[in-house]
Amino acid sequence: MTADRIRIVRAVVAIALVVAAAYVFGWYIPQFYESTTTYLWAEAFYIGVAAMGLNLLTGYNGQVSIGHGAFFGLGMYTTAILMESHNWPFVATLPVVALITFGVGVLVGFPALRVKGLYLALVTLVLAVLFPELTNRFVPHDLCKTCGTSQVGELARSKLRPPSWVPHFVGANDQWAYYAALVVAVVGLVVLALLVRSRFGRALIAVRDHEAAAETVGINIARVKVIAFATSALYAGVAGSCFVLVKRLATASSVSTFQLSIEFLVAVVIGGTATVLGPFVGGVIVVFSGRYISESFPSTLLFWHIDDSVKNLLSPAIYGIGLILLMYVLPDGIVGGGRRVGITAWRNLRRRKRAPAAR
Amino acid sequence: MNDDVRCEPRSRRLRPTRLIALGAALSLLVAACGGGRSNSDNGTTTNPTTASSGSTPSTSVIDTSQCDPSTLTQGITGNTIKIGTSLPLSGTYSAFSGILQGETAYFDYINALGGVTVAGKKYQIKLVSKDDAYDAAQTSTNVDSLINSDKVFALFNNVGTKNNLGIRETVNSDCVPNLLIASGAVQWGNPKYPWMLGSELVPYPLEMQEFVNYLKKNKPNAKIALLYANDDFGQSYQQSLEQLVKGTSLSIVKQASYNAEGSDVKAQVTDLAASKADTFVLGGTLLACPNALNAAHDAGWKPLTYMSGTCVSKLLFQLGGAGADGVISVTPLMDPADPANASNPAVQLYKQQVAKYQPKADTGDGIVAYGWSTAALMQKILEASPKLDRVSVMETARTLKGIKDTGLQLPGSTWDTSKTDWFVGETFQLVKYNRAEGHSDPIGTITDLDGKTAELSPPSLLKS
Repeated sequence: MTADRIRIVRAVVAIALVVAAAYVFGWYIPQFYESTTTYLWAEAFYIGVAAMGLNLLTGYNGQVSIGHGAFFGLGMYTTAILMESHNWPFVATLPVVALITFGVGVLVGFPALRVKGLYLALVTLVLAVLFPELTNRFVPHDLCKTCGTSQVGELARSKLRPPSWVPHFVGANDQWAYYAALVVAVVGLVVLALLVRSRFGRALIAVRDHEAAAETVGINIARVKVIAFATSALYAGVAGSCFVLVKRLATASSVSTFQLSIEFLVAVVIGGTATVLGPFVGGVIVVFSGRYISESFPSTLLFWHIDDSVKNLLSPAIYGIGLILLMYVLPDGIVGGGRRVGITAWRNLRRRKRAPAAR
Repeated sequence: MNDDVRCEPRSRRLRPTRLIALGAALSLLVAACGGGRSNSDNGTTTNPTTASSGSTPSTSVIDTSQCDPSTLTQGITGNTIKIGTSLPLSGTYSAFSGILQGETAYFDYINALGGVTVAGKKYQIKLVSKDDAYDAAQTSTNVDSLINSDKVFALFNNVGTKNNLGIRETVNSDCVPNLLIASGAVQWGNPKYPWMLGSELVPYPLEMQEFVNYLKKNKPNAKIALLYANDDFGQSYQQSLEQLVKGTSLSIVKQASYNAEGSDVKAQVTDLAASKADTFVLGGTLLACPNALNAAHDAGWKPLTYMSGTCVSKLLFQLGGAGADGVISVTPLMDPADPANASNPAVQLYKQQVAKYQPKADTGDGIVAYGWSTAALMQKILEASPKLDRVSVMETARTLKGIKDTGLQLPGSTWDTSKTDWFVGETFQLVKYNRAEGHSDPIGTITDLDGKTAELSPPSLLKS
């Protein structure tokens, strides 16, 4: 087989996969499933988007953050306030969110230059701790009834309707939330793919792998790090905006309990650090696994009857064990590990084919 | 930039295959049109043109013009009525799962007897429960799933103030009855949201009213220290108490709030103890209650303590240890742990059936008794409804007359609602916990404040 033919086969397979994915995600799920499923997928999309952003920071640039829930919350609050109190359409809030979260990301990114590794993780932890406290204190209830750790209202249904300019098939509110999250995810994915293959992407990796070496070849380390931080904050913020469409409220509870920040990190690690598609796959797994482990858990196991209270204890335990096993078998995540296994298999296949000829 | 430095990627442009794939993906996204889900019944862009004409009684308090008539009987299949509930079954607030035990036992019991009778026909009740860990965002997801996937007829006894505030637009626009909300917040009286109705829990401002009356009589110069949860629930207590204390010889000498995400109140209580207040009002719920009682005891503080009616539970009192002795609260129900009630047939039935259907539940726990009684009230609402559709059931729930002996309802008390009064639990008993005997003793007689919630509540709360 010549190299050209291999490339053609690969291209055909890639196109087929993408077309299938486009059909399933762009048409089948939103058009044939109930709102429960579409909302769940939309949730998977925005968790995936936030994880993509974190991956840019952690996977490609080697900076660890466990406070990205705060940027997510910032995006969430900004969108909720603009939509609720200022009657903005959802789409118009996105550029504002992008600007604000990028700006705050730059501000936070500068001090982050001074600290590395675990110390940076601790600094970002402060963000997640501060966010609910600050918003509780400084976001007045009248401005945003839908915001809060504590005082939450629900965004009016009329504001969650799809705008008039979208195609007719984006009919119901849940479909609008789904498509909005999907488009954000696809755009985020494409931008990320382009970004990591660009000069800037190479610089990110160089800084991660060897800062001193990167500096000697003329990379502006401060700039690279700050931009990486701010871009990942932007991803988290826009993901937070999508949260508002899906959950119809803004709440900092999950920021205060670090649930979101940890979910992003888990999504990155499950999917595969420093892979483009990995965090996205991880996001889908994080969102769906938690739900299905507890729902599809059997009520009787061999001779034991398992009641709900035990189930509630067991399902996070199983989730945790699953994570440990996964890290043991595929330490580079599903996408990273899958690629590694695929390449090994491909080589073996070719070696076996070549072997008779050599004899 | 340093132009002589080459950090060139291997290929800067998109490879053709990737470009084609991307194009295919995007074009499919945009070009797809036509078709649709079997039923896209939530929030479609076109409003249903016909309202449920004729099915609405003339005494209607509910505007049904936005309701889709085809969903009015959703959740009723054959002889089954499916209802849904979202409540914390895991996390800090998991002790509320006792509510589900009580409800499940009651519905199992009533189903075994043939079910509920609505408009001359017998129906079995099927209760679908979902865990939200007291997180409002999860409640929103659960409720969406209950309405659109499980296709329940009505929501029943959803737990939590913020959790229910976070779904009221949904139940309003989907026209789903959100019956017997497990929260005494007065927001359920907001006329903009007619599909919400609170349960028999005493509205929080009435709790404060009752305790302030008690103080005026027994301790007119009380110096009050207040601890409240920093959420909608806790603020109901805070705002009501502030309003009620105005113009009396009572005074609030110190206030502190705690983070409702957790139940750690030790620092706040130590602070309050240092204020030398002689009265302690505890506007928290679940574990925060015993934690606060313990902290007060540890600090050597012995105030007259009032504790939220949501904490009236054998388990929580026991956890409160020595600090729980003599704590005052209110309840709309009989204490199943009180031996004085042991001969009451309603209590006997409750203990017997809960032991049968939920053997792991603690029948002495007020939280289980609350679930049982609320399920019994649900049965009464359904049976009083002239027809089995969402509008009729909701109208019925809003016009309850003289409801008596529901579950463990206090003997001699009645529960009423009307066009102008949207609160059920306005008849209740002030109680005092007796630690030596492990149950609560009534103080005085039953208080009946029927129809008074609206005037006794801070207007800002009512309208929010």
